[in-house]
Amino acid sequence: MNGFAHLFAIAFQALKRNRVQTTLAMLGVTVGVCALVTSMALAKGAQESIREQLLAAGANMIVVTAGNYQIQRAEGVSSPADHGSIESSTVNPSIAENSHRVLGRASLIDGAAPRFMKAHFEDDPMAIHDHPTASDRLGDSMAGLGSAATLTLEDAETIRSTISGVQFVASGVHENARITVVSDETKQWFTRLHGTESELPVIRRGWTFPYGEFFSRRQVLNKEQVMVLGRVVADRLFGQGINPLGQEVLLWNQSFEVVGVVGSRSWASQPVAGDDQFDAVYVPVSTVHSLLNLSKLNTITVTTKSAGETTNIAQVIVNLLRQRHGISDQMPDDFIVKSQAQELLGDGLSPDLARIVAGNLATMDTLTLEQLSKSLQRANHTMLILLAGVAGVSLLVGGIGVMNLLLLSVTERTREVGLRMALGARSSDIASQFIIEAVFLSFLGGLLGTVIAVFVTMSLEGVFQWSTEISFASIVIAIIVAALLGVAASVYPARRAAELEPISALQHE
Amino acid sequence: MSVISLQDVKKIYELGDNSVHALSGVSLDIEAGEFVTITGASGSGKSTMMHILGCLDRPTAGRYLLNGKDVSNLPKEELAAIRNKQIGFVFQGFNLLPRTTAAENVEVPLLYSRPPMTTSERKSRALEALEALGLSDRAEHHPSQLSGGQQQRVAIARALVNRPSLILADEPTGNLDSKTSIEVMRLLQDLRERSGITIILITHEAEIAAYGTRIISVKDGLIVSDTPNTPVTSGLNLEGVPATESALA
Repeated sequence: MNGFAHLFAIAFQALKRNRVQTTLAMLGVTVGVCALVTSMALAKGAQESIREQLLAAGANMIVVTAGNYQIQRAEGVSSPADHGSIESSTVNPSIAENSHRVLGRASLIDGAAPRFMKAHFEDDPMAIHDHPTASDRLGDSMAGLGSAATLTLEDAETIRSTISGVQFVASGVHENARITVVSDETKQWFTRLHGTESELPVIRRGWTFPYGEFFSRRQVLNKEQVMVLGRVVADRLFGQGINPLGQEVLLWNQSFEVVGVVGSRSWASQPVAGDDQFDAVYVPVSTVHSLLNLSKLNTITVTTKSAGETTNIAQVIVNLLRQRHGISDQMPDDFIVKSQAQELLGDGLSPDLARIVAGNLATMDTLTLEQLSKSLQRANHTMLILLAGVAGVSLLVGGIGVMNLLLLSVTERTREVGLRMALGARSSDIASQFIIEAVFLSFLGGLLGTVIAVFVTMSLEGVFQWSTEISFASIVIAIIVAALLGVAASVYPARRAAELEPISALQHE
Repeated sequence: MSVISLQDVKKIYELGDNSVHALSGVSLDIEAGEFVTITGASGSGKSTMMHILGCLDRPTAGRYLLNGKDVSNLPKEELAAIRNKQIGFVFQGFNLLPRTTAAENVEVPLLYSRPPMTTSERKSRALEALEALGLSDRAEHHPSQLSGGQQQRVAIARALVNRPSLILADEPTGNLDSKTSIEVMRLLQDLRERSGITIILITHEAEIAAYGTRIISVKDGLIVSDTPNTPVTSGLNLEGVPATESALA
């Protein structure tokens, strides 16, 4: 231990003595490391912003809906092999034949070509009778798609706890409801009611809260009667620009406290009457369950950590729920799993993203957000390599600078080396002094470069609005690279110094 | 037992086809406590002798016993250890590290001691050596802030810090004026008298050589005379050196 300490003492004294040289040698490394850290931060930032945009577009969202109403355009297209497939889960034709003896009646209602319902027999008790199903007569949503009682809180909990790669899970109950202001009962609004969990705001990335915030996990657990109003509802009930926090509203003759108002972060999707997000109110799912004495869920909304895994995880969810619901291989799903990617491709993609995609892929039609995600990551990876390459070159130049200065310093300090040898320094002592000096300056240069890089990236972010992210790993890598550079640059000069003869070195002028 | 024993030591440099005989067979015994001055013109071989005595170079032929141990053919690393432990060097140009405090300069030989010393041990030894030479108040000064005499005393403190048995001084007064030269010579005399250390001093000035107890003249790589001497003690009244700073400053 002590053996090292005295070597450090020697090197440190020498560095202190040659301040100008020390500073200049450090400068090269500083610039190199600064370039390296900055470019890694830019690349990482670009990667993050692509990910952000993809996630904001809902690329990582999966919605599980209770019940399974699927419209099949033609008979015989589906096969048992389709079981469990996403977005096309269908029943076995033979079962469908048995349970729907009235296929074709649908034409009586909508006047169009006969439609063939493929439904789970539990979904609609009317289906077993000899008359049109509710869905045939009214269409899916009016017939209550999602109202089947096949999903439970336990399903949501199992998805949350057993599937890896899942980021957030929010279970939901959805109803239509009339909301009345307690203080002025003439103010009423008929809207969508979402019973949900505290995770929803992190799933809906585009949300912002002009007033208050979303209800907490604790409030959900306590089944509190709290409500978050959509922007549209808040405006209708209390007027624009009025803070409704703390106001009481009535729902099912129960009083709820307004704890927040949710609006859209993006100018692209402003709240309008009739939309499902902002012309809506949110209450804890537990409160809905307890007030209505329910235990079913209409939906389970799941987000995945990576947009690229969404399809796989959707498949895992299908398998998990089939197993939990005891559905045999021959039977259709009693739920629908939809990943949002394709649905959102049409409107969720920002123009610049779409442009990049169009440049990278031949056919937009077949494109999914997942492919998009992968191709963007590839492009970004290329950019990262390019930037890191440039930074690597500048680091190399910095290293050559260190070596040059060390060589100069060996010549300049020949007398010093001779003196040290006369006073008892071994060749190895001299060599380690030079190596430690070089490593020390490179390390210091690396540290300084990192600090400068932090400022540079911060100002890039501030001035040009570039998105950057300095990762801890990139800092560690940069400093280790700098120190290694010091070792590499000092080996040759150190050998030159160690091979000096004490007499000639002492007589050197 | 002699501190130093040279037995027919030769040093031959091969320069292309010519070979230069820097030392052509030197035999010499120096006892502990002697103050030997070696004189000679330039090119006489006195510097080569100095290098061999200082273990900075190895003889081509002959034996060199230092404190009874044959060091003529030791490897470089062992010679470095001997220089560190047993020999204190004082150079003509002081050879202090610039922009480094007096204390740090004195510490340098301790940095290369084996086994290594702790930082505090090094510091206290260096201050002790400076104090012995009356320089405690100059410990934090850089060489550029010291007079020539003070610089040479720092160098002497550095030579003494590892408690060697032998001091080798190569023209220690070469860069000093005559007044300061006398002070340094008195200081070396005083050191020898008080601690019994062996001193070998190389000079080309007869007046300086006269401070030794034994004067050796070298010419053409051979010893031409080797006579005992009654040391000169003249010059300033230096009673109490090195305690009186004023006398040396």
